[in-house]
Amino acid sequence: MYVWCVADRNSGTLSGLNSSENAVPADAKNLRVKLVLLGDSGVGKSCIVLRFVRGQFDATSKVTVGASFLSQTIALQDSTTVKFEIWDTAGQERYSALAPLYYRGAGVAVIVYDITSPESFKKAQYWVKELQKHGSPDIVMALVGNKADLHEKREVQTEDGMELAEKNGMFFIETSAKTADNINQLFEEIGKRLPRPAPSS
Amino acid sequence: MTSDSSSSPSSSDTEFADPNPSTDPGTNSERVQSQLESMNLSEPSEVSDGSHTDYGGGDDDDDAPAEVALSNANEGGFTNGRVVREDLAETSGEEGREASLRAEHPVEMEAGEEPPSPTSSGYDGERGSSGGATSTYKADDASEDEIREANGDGDTASQHEAAWLPGKRHVHEDDASISWRKRKKHFFILSNSGKPIYSRYGDEHKLAGFSATLQAIISFVENGGDRVNLVKAGKHQVVFLVKGPIYLVCISCTDETYDYLRGQLDLLYGQMILILTKSIDRCFEKNAKFDMSPLLGGTDAVFSSLVHSFSWNPATFLHAYTCLPIQYALRQAAGTILQEVCASGVLFSLLMCRHKVISLAGAQKASLHPDDLLLLSNFVMSSESFRTSESFSPICLPRYNPQAFLHAYVHFFDDDTYVMLLTTRSEAFYHLKDCRIRIEAVLLKSNILSMVQRSIAEGGMRVEDLPIDRRLRQKASSTNNQGQDTGGPDRLRDISVGTGGPFGLWHFIYRSIYLDQYISSEFSLPVTSHRQQKSLYRAYQKLYASMHDKGLGPHKTQYRRDENYTLLCWVTPDFELYAAFDPLADKAMAIKMCNQVCQRVKDLENEVFLQGASPFSW
Ligand SMILES: Nc1nc2c(ncn2[C@@H]2O[C@H](COP(=O)(O)OP(=O)(O)OP(=O)(O)O)[C@@H](O)[C@H]2O)c(=O)[nH]1
Ligand SMILES: [Mg+2]
Repeated sequence: MYVWCVADRNSGTLSGLNSSENAVPADAKNLRVKLVLLGDSGVGKSCIVLRFVRGQFDATSKVTVGASFLSQTIALQDSTTVKFEIWDTAGQERYSALAPLYYRGAGVAVIVYDITSPESFKKAQYWVKELQKHGSPDIVMALVGNKADLHEKREVQTEDGMELAEKNGMFFIETSAKTADNINQLFEEIGKRLPRPAPSS
Repeated sequence: MTSDSSSSPSSSDTEFADPNPSTDPGTNSERVQSQLESMNLSEPSEVSDGSHTDYGGGDDDDDAPAEVALSNANEGGFTNGRVVREDLAETSGEEGREASLRAEHPVEMEAGEEPPSPTSSGYDGERGSSGGATSTYKADDASEDEIREANGDGDTASQHEAAWLPGKRHVHEDDASISWRKRKKHFFILSNSGKPIYSRYGDEHKLAGFSATLQAIISFVENGGDRVNLVKAGKHQVVFLVKGPIYLVCISCTDETYDYLRGQLDLLYGQMILILTKSIDRCFEKNAKFDMSPLLGGTDAVFSSLVHSFSWNPATFLHAYTCLPIQYALRQAAGTILQEVCASGVLFSLLMCRHKVISLAGAQKASLHPDDLLLLSNFVMSSESFRTSESFSPICLPRYNPQAFLHAYVHFFDDDTYVMLLTTRSEAFYHLKDCRIRIEAVLLKSNILSMVQRSIAEGGMRVEDLPIDRRLRQKASSTNNQGQDTGGPDRLRDISVGTGGPFGLWHFIYRSIYLDQYISSEFSLPVTSHRQQKSLYRAYQKLYASMHDKGLGPHKTQYRRDENYTLLCWVTPDFELYAAFDPLADKAMAIKMCNQVCQRVKDLENEVFLQGASPFSW
């Protein structure tokens, strides 16, 4: 029972945002996992989530305050379902000290940058380091290069993203929240990589 | 480019930080005057404004030069012969007065006003948020700057900022732009080393030189052991507020009172504290040249919405809050569940409709100041992201405890109605989410959400609905017809005088002292345009300021008449009533009408006020 294990391990010293009162424990066929999105302000974290959860894209989407909470369940091909409890964090600088509150106990971290912004790629590297130091040891990490539709303005090469991901054992994908390209794939791939709970004890 | 500008404050410093500051006020003000001249603000330009660009808001005309004439016309009725244009000797006299007022209250005055925090040691925010944040801010500061410069103008992030932050207007202006100089009201926040933090108009970073000038004025006076609070230059008032390492400045030719402008700066500061806490001061202790503006990234809409509310929201000068009118039983039902939620370890629970309270509750002994409520609802209403999904965000209530973050759970039930649950516990999200689900169940069961929508549609109290004696009405309307013959003020002439409520009552605000709440009537004919409404609020503000002037006792009334309104104010230990009548209204009738209004409010008090549960009455 993946989520429960993670939550238990951390419950002593770290108090993250974990739904200890989760009614239904996950089983082998129905996973549930806490996912946190991290990355510079404006890279498109909220757009990715809203595209995934509501199928919408709003070009005027607004800068996140603190963190937003959304959830979405998907079915994988092997007929397991995964319920994602998503923390869409604010990329604004003043909130960076709060990030541990959201990534503690998270089973998945999605680190997002904007392929048109090398600055945001630097920030992604910072988050990778931070999570390796302070995240759960068995956290599943994904690196996402967003705004892939803006290829003519690209400043971060796909290879650079891939290299960073490989070095750190992350899953890598380029997405566009605007065109919906690779958004579902991102979450499906994450779902496949989740450790399956041991058969019920 | 931004970091280069940090050299200008220091050079200004050497220019103005006179090692032997003259104690002669004349010299003092000459220096200040020369500074003002260098700011190009001592002579307001009245040249017809070809360059004036259309502003996005459309509803906030602080920056509309055309209004200059109007507000001066208003002035006549209120200044009681006070000379508007003061020369510099008078200016320094004013300064002296303010400075001595200030001296009566020790520097700690602000701290003393605030209730000591009941649980300041229990905040997670102090550990996790304030403390941690402080060091992170500092560490990241340098690298942020470098990255920004490297990216230059092509930076997509900042392009987006312009696109998705409706709040900031005229970002391309700076102090060299004519349009910028002509804005009627500027607000600035800067650090005591002269670094720009916020500017209402224009890009803060382009205003580095201007900020340095403001800083030079403030520190010049401070070096003389004094404090500059107000400088008058022609039509302009320059109001200063010093809060530790942070300076706030308002430059205005809007004809508002010094007290109110200063109150606005106070709220602006409070809004900043709400976002960052006062622990920001520590960053300046560690590094005097600390650049704070990145920490306010993405908050322009919050500040511009607050500045806008100075001209439409009476809460900004009454320091009271207002409720959405709703049936007593519904408010009670909402209040009961909010109280239950507070009993489960939540500090404050609030059910709001836009900026109006539906009901609220606080944990035992926890008291929420109306100003905190104003800043909180402004923050939530102007941050669009709260509307997309439930959120959990650190916020600080400056009056409650300026040092620490609380954690706010915010959820919108529909476009207008939202719940805010505030706690000291950073890990309480799921508990708060459960609380919201319980609250939502009650709201659905009692159909409150649709009643709220109905209340919004119907509006609040109307002067037209006030019950009146028929015989008296006849008499009153004959007075009004007379009035029409003699001619009203230009801007009202085309509207038939005497519309609105009985006896020429146009509008009122009733403030309950005990409840810390006010109720304002809906605007009705003839006060219909935004400009008229704003002008009426400004008249109220002046009335409020004069009624709250020191040295006057309770039980007061005031009656004023000018070409725009007859204003009546009545202050008792229980309530304050501000009423606006037709300028030709009969005085005796107006007084009778005020009694009627008070009676009417008392009759409706269960619908228009939140009774009993108010934690403000502690
Ligand atoms: N062209 C393009 N624009 C995008 C894409 N995703 C997001 N954007 C734009 O980028 C801007 C910022 O997106 P957000 O999702 O609000 O960014 P964020 O990462 O959540 O930012 P914070 O909440 O401040 O951390 C929006 O105005 C979107 O229009 C994308 O895939 N393609
Ligand atoms: Mg976001």
